Amino acid sequence: MQLDSKVPGGPLSEKWDKHLFDLKLVNPANKRKFEIIVVGTGLAGGSASATLAELGYNVKTFCIQDSPRRAHSIAAQGGINAAKNYSNDGDSVWRLFYDTVKGGDYRSREANVYRLAQVSNNIIDQCVAQGVPFAREYGGLLANRSFGGAQVSRTFYARGQTGQQLLIGAYSALSRQIAAGKVKMFTRRDMLDLVLVNGKARGIVTRNLVNGNIETHAADAVVLATGGYGNTFYLSTNAMASNVSAAYSAYKKGAFFANPCYTQIHPTCIPVHGTYQSKLTLMSESLRNDGRVWVPKNPGDKRLPSQISESERDYYLENKYPSFGNLVPRDVASRNAKLQCDQGKGVGETGLAVYLDFKDAIQRDGKDVIAKKYGNLFQMYEKITADNPYETPMMIYPAVHYTMGGLWVDYNLMSTIPGLFVLGEANFSDHGANRLGASALMQGLADGYFIIPYTIGGYLAGTKLEKVSTDDAGFKATAEDVEARIKKLLSIGGKRTVDDFHRQLGNIMWEYCGMARSAKGLTKAKDLIAELRAEFWENVLVSGSGNQFNQSLEKAGHVADFIEFGKLMVLDALARKESCGGHFNEDYQTEENEAKRDDESFCHVAAWEYAGDENEPNFQKEALNFENVTLTQRSYK
Amino acid sequence: MNWLLDIIESSIGKKLLMALTGLGFCVFLFGHLAGNLTIYGGKDAFNSYAEHLHSLGPILTVAEIGLLVFAMVHILSGIFLFWGNLKARPQRYVINKSAGGRTIGSRTMPYTGFLVLLFVIFHLMNFHFVDKTNTTIFQIVQNAFSDPIYVGIYVAAMLVVGIHVSHGFWSAFQTLGANHPKYMPLIKGLSICFSLIVGMGFGFLPIYFLFMS
Amino acid sequence: MTQSNGKKNINLTLKVWRQVGPNVKGRLETYQANNISTDMSFLEMLDVVNEELIINHRDPIAFDHDCREGICGMCGAVVNGRAHGPEKGTTLCQLHMRHFSDRDTVVIEPWRSRAFKIIKDLVVDRSALDVIIQAGGYISVSAGGTPDANVIPVPQEAAEKAMDAAACIGCGACVAACPNASAMLFVGAKVSHLALLPQGVPEAARRVLKMVQKMDECGFGNCTNETECEAVCPKEISITNIARLNREYIKAGFL
Ligand SMILES: Cc1cc2nc3c(=O)[nH]c(=O)nc-3n(C[C@H](O)[C@H](O)[C@H](O)COP(=O)(O)OP(=O)(O)OC[C@H]3O[C@@H](n4cnc5c(N)ncnc54)[C@H](O)[C@@H]3O)c2cc1C
Ligand code: HEM
Ligand code: FES
Repeated sequence: MQLDSKVPGGPLSEKWDKHLFDLKLVNPANKRKFEIIVVGTGLAGGSASATLAELGYNVKTFCIQDSPRRAHSIAAQGGINAAKNYSNDGDSVWRLFYDTVKGGDYRSREANVYRLAQVSNNIIDQCVAQGVPFAREYGGLLANRSFGGAQVSRTFYARGQTGQQLLIGAYSALSRQIAAGKVKMFTRRDMLDLVLVNGKARGIVTRNLVNGNIETHAADAVVLATGGYGNTFYLSTNAMASNVSAAYSAYKKGAFFANPCYTQIHPTCIPVHGTYQSKLTLMSESLRNDGRVWVPKNPGDKRLPSQISESERDYYLENKYPSFGNLVPRDVASRNAKLQCDQGKGVGETGLAVYLDFKDAIQRDGKDVIAKKYGNLFQMYEKITADNPYETPMMIYPAVHYTMGGLWVDYNLMSTIPGLFVLGEANFSDHGANRLGASALMQGLADGYFIIPYTIGGYLAGTKLEKVSTDDAGFKATAEDVEARIKKLLSIGGKRTVDDFHRQLGNIMWEYCGMARSAKGLTKAKDLIAELRAEFWENVLVSGSGNQFNQSLEKAGHVADFIEFGKLMVLDALARKESCGGHFNEDYQTEENEAKRDDESFCHVAAWEYAGDENEPNFQKEALNFENVTLTQRSYK
Repeated sequence: MNWLLDIIESSIGKKLLMALTGLGFCVFLFGHLAGNLTIYGGKDAFNSYAEHLHSLGPILTVAEIGLLVFAMVHILSGIFLFWGNLKARPQRYVINKSAGGRTIGSRTMPYTGFLVLLFVIFHLMNFHFVDKTNTTIFQIVQNAFSDPIYVGIYVAAMLVVGIHVSHGFWSAFQTLGANHPKYMPLIKGLSICFSLIVGMGFGFLPIYFLFMS
Repeated sequence: MTQSNGKKNINLTLKVWRQVGPNVKGRLETYQANNISTDMSFLEMLDVVNEELIINHRDPIAFDHDCREGICGMCGAVVNGRAHGPEKGTTLCQLHMRHFSDRDTVVIEPWRSRAFKIIKDLVVDRSALDVIIQAGGYISVSAGGTPDANVIPVPQEAAEKAMDAAACIGCGACVAACPNASAMLFVGAKVSHLALLPQGVPEAARRVLKMVQKMDECGFGNCTNETECEAVCPKEISITNIARLNREYIKAGFL
């Protein structure tokens, strides 16, 4: 199969308009004859469900949590970007586009990113109209801040709860459509498989998490908005229910998976405390605006921070990157923290942490100013660690945060399976090898409110869709596969719990496929994962039965997929013999330990096609052509 | 008038009735107390106040009927609310601790309310539905309060009324939507003051009589 | 509850409500939680207990959770009689074991309310809260065709107040803690959030009438201003929002 991105021709800035005109329209009266399944109610799925229903389609929406309002998007703190240029500091659609492509280390598709920047402004209008309480100036107009090292202030925010407020906006729009009968909402459902009929996506199989029933649902098209796969690492800032299973089941049914090795590791998270640790908590990146990162100069120095004098401290980011200092991009900050800890200079009980110190900022601006800016973050930190950041430096360490890779989609957000669309973090489309702060929320909402409503119409209007019903053989067979797997999981009756396996997988991934990778480590990881996989299917212990509320079983299915998927990540990392963005391969670095891209050989999207559980997947490239920006090496010195 | 019924039948509607009638009682209590304070002015002052009151004739009757209606509304909606609230949690907690919101007043509203009802009936039987020929109201009161048991009952009842309004007063404002961060502390303060004034104002009268006799 | 600085391990006796399904009788069962690090979160403590139960072929304790950072509203249980446990402004997932002492007995019960059926153990069905939002907790605008975001200025104070109310995570602790199992704080927060913004004003009256009607239908109790909801709310949402709800209701009903 040849990958066709379907990017329309013409100048960059006119592509989307032209494409909108070229897309076939569904007659308004006919829309109600189409059924669309949307899996996921995060920013992407929530906004897509609501908008499709507003247009007149019949939508069935699914989520794992007990309410669509709880999707993982709710946890986003910092903000959402848009090219409004309300701050009059020279922002534009073009600049947002350019920053995003550059930030992604030139591994994203130009046309998609440009479209994202174009619709970013509509998103803000939409959200304000829905009642999202963005921060405002005294004059009543919207406030902006600069975020993630951007040179312009283009980030809109609602305190430290931007994701929550945007999601509540999408959720309210969704609720309105549920009340209108246009969306049928299915909560506490775990999508376990995709159903194809004549090669097209026509339905899904879900497990009802309350009573364990295996259910099948048919539709004319399926939209996946199931979020990222950061939990492959066991510990991440993702919510506990975040999983790769839905996307992975689509992959197994023939959807290509793109760039699985691109993971973003966020530099400012609260360090791990012990083996019981279940997830990691992000501290907003904005802390680096005033906090200074340091470690003791002497390895193994276990004294209290207050006992370590200025001359014995190494402010390594400021020293190494004089012009950006503590504000270097996420990947650079993360990698350097690891480097220090690897040299034994890490602090805290585990030695896996660095200090983020506000002493100087407090001395300079006063405690009140700092409290105003970061009070709630300091409070949150103290709640978790029982340390008071006003008095003693915070301890931070990088953690897995976001996954840029995802199911491959074309310009219409359709995967390689006709009728299967993928939105939000679950697709790979816009962030290349590294995502800029405040851009994921933008992408999720762009996909849901302003892209899928049009492109899905083009598909439905231009495709012959035969009648299907859940009584068809295809549905029955898929449901049987799902049931067989559940039976298998329950019947193993081994000695190790699901979490135990997940933790071990996480260790392998973090060690060898985390912040710094190498051919040697990755090869080792491949073997370790294969061993783990074999043991899992012989020795896992899942409690309870299939026909009841059973969280152990739910997790087991997810972890089984994480293990498979871990292998795919490692393969992709091995194949990408360069360093770029979130993928840092030690074998490919400059003399100053910076990432070294290889644009000659790797300026492409790596797309993987499933070829059976026991076989290596097939590899396909989508070449990336940059017609509007010139590729440069990132430098933050 | 369907719309009115709809509103009144809702949970907030019932609460509104509760608040309006409750505040009505508060106004009544205030007036009643002001009148009763004439007792400290001596027999004649009190009797003339009573006479004055009765000379109002039909107005007094209207006021009495009004109070009765208020009482019915207050009691009925109270019963509905109480019943609804019992049903809303069929299975109770094994352990239930306050997180600091409740007060003695708020905890006991239905019970103090019920006690007040009993007291009001008792009170009316003592002083209202009595044969008033050949005697003055002052005498009736004096007689009653020469008995320490009566005094005990009245003082206790006033304590109960005080507790009831200590929550009821501010709660009525909240129910009517009058909660503003600037003024709420004042209203809550007033609530306490009002319950103290009512409780002590009424409560001292029987004691005063007891000592006078 | 003592605050213990410095890390240590403690042993606890847990009494956990176990109930197989909505229509089955439940009861408290006793478990030992040994060697619990005071740095653990409450849910991590439950994880540890569950791991042991699973290994011993016993049924693990079912409890809801997702973000584990106090924002999704999925977690929640009544701990020693208090919704979300003893700490103010804290969800159960953000409650840390350093707030407990060695040899404490900890009683853990699900949210209890007629409107929230127990699904299993500590897991309850809170869909009534969604149903209330569906009745009107939105501004009726469809995607596209909205004016520029800065066309309607919103006074900063109004935006901040709206945000205070919108911070609700829909966990249901207000209902759980209310002696009357009332959902007025939840509804008040949503009505306030939208009524405070000019964008929400056009359908304010319709919204409040429908939401209150739905709230009553769902079987929640009546607010008697006990203010327990405000005291346990992990986002410390104020009961001034309930007063605003009452105000909006009066306005909508009588004007
Ligand atoms: C702590 C944190 C802070 C962040 N801060 C920011 C920020 O400030 N700015 C920014 O732009 N981005 C931020 N991000 C990233 C951003 O929040 C996410 O990338 C984005 O919200 C993902 O949205 P989504 O709609 O694609 O998926 P999600 O919100 O993850 O939603 C996934 C949905 O799919 C459903 N689902 C998943 N699997 C299944 C299944 N098997 N069956 C059925 N349903 C399923 C879930 O129930 C859920 O409804 C942050 C991320 C984290 C972790
Ligand atoms: C002197 C007489 C009384 C006064 C001044 C009074 C005053 C009040 C007030 C102001 C309220 C608050 C309304 C609100 O919360 O919005 C109230 C509530 C209530 N009253 Fe009374 N009341 C009196 C008598 C009674 C009687 C006789 C009963 C019952 C038989 C009663 C039962 C209740 C109940 C059940 C409540 C509701 C509790 C609640 O909503 O918290 N009250 N009262
Ligand atoms: S798990 Fe999300 S709020 Fe506790």
